[in-house]
Amino acid sequence: MTSLYDFLETNSMYVVLLIVLIIWIGIFAYLRSMDGKIKKLEQDSPV
Amino acid sequence: MKNIFTGLTFVLITFVIITGIVLPIPDIPALGDKARVLYFHVPMSWISVLAFFMSMWYSIRYLKTREADYDLKSYSSAQLGFLFCILATATGSLWAKFNWGSFWNWDPRQTSIFILLMIYGAYFALRSAIDSDEQRAKLSSVYSIIAGVTVPFFVFIMPRLVESLHPDPIINSQGKIHMDSTMLTVFLTSLVGFTMLYLWILNMKFRLERLQFKKLKNSEN
Repeated sequence: MTSLYDFLETNSMYVVLLIVLIIWIGIFAYLRSMDGKIKKLEQDSPV
Repeated sequence: MKNIFTGLTFVLITFVIITGIVLPIPDIPALGDKARVLYFHVPMSWISVLAFFMSMWYSIRYLKTREADYDLKSYSSAQLGFLFCILATATGSLWAKFNWGSFWNWDPRQTSIFILLMIYGAYFALRSAIDSDEQRAKLSSVYSIIAGVTVPFFVFIMPRLVESLHPDPIINSQGKIHMDSTMLTVFLTSLVGFTMLYLWILNMKFRLERLQFKKLKNSEN
């Protein structure tokens, strides 16, 4: 864990990479859950 | 099938984020590492063009068939096109601050995207001003077709006619692509990944609009 911290401290580009990845994973997970909710709504009120 | 599609979208965009930030790029005069913006800014612009064309296509389908679904698809696509157009403008503007010295300087690219935003802003104003579903669908379809026709002019033609500070388009005036092969691979992956993301969000947006439309129809009856 300490070595990872040291690595990130000296390679700031990877910190940016981690931040962007966290944002992307968050957005993706949100979209997936929204897709599921729409599907449920469609099943409850068939079009 | 859908899980494969969304999974592949996730993998492609994750690949672009990692390689786009980490992989070394050749030294490009006056751009340096800022050239990496290409992996994210250009796909935004590409998707806005694609979305506006799709909106035009669905409008034509609506006028031919008069099926409400096509109007809802056209509307959903125009909304996404507008969103990605704003993202392209914002990312380009931030890049311009560090490359040209100011966020906004009415460069031909900036001017043309600004006009495009106004054209589609008027499309949403038109839609919200009409109460009758059928009339709204009919008029906004006609408007969307006319707006779609202006897109190639503002995105592809006008910025090439006037002197601009903007880096050369991907396909330059000689019709060739001058890009390092690694950069080109990441860039093309980015185009595919973000296009798939657009198609996925479009599908969700349309289904939401359709649910809302049906609910409104049911409450009227």
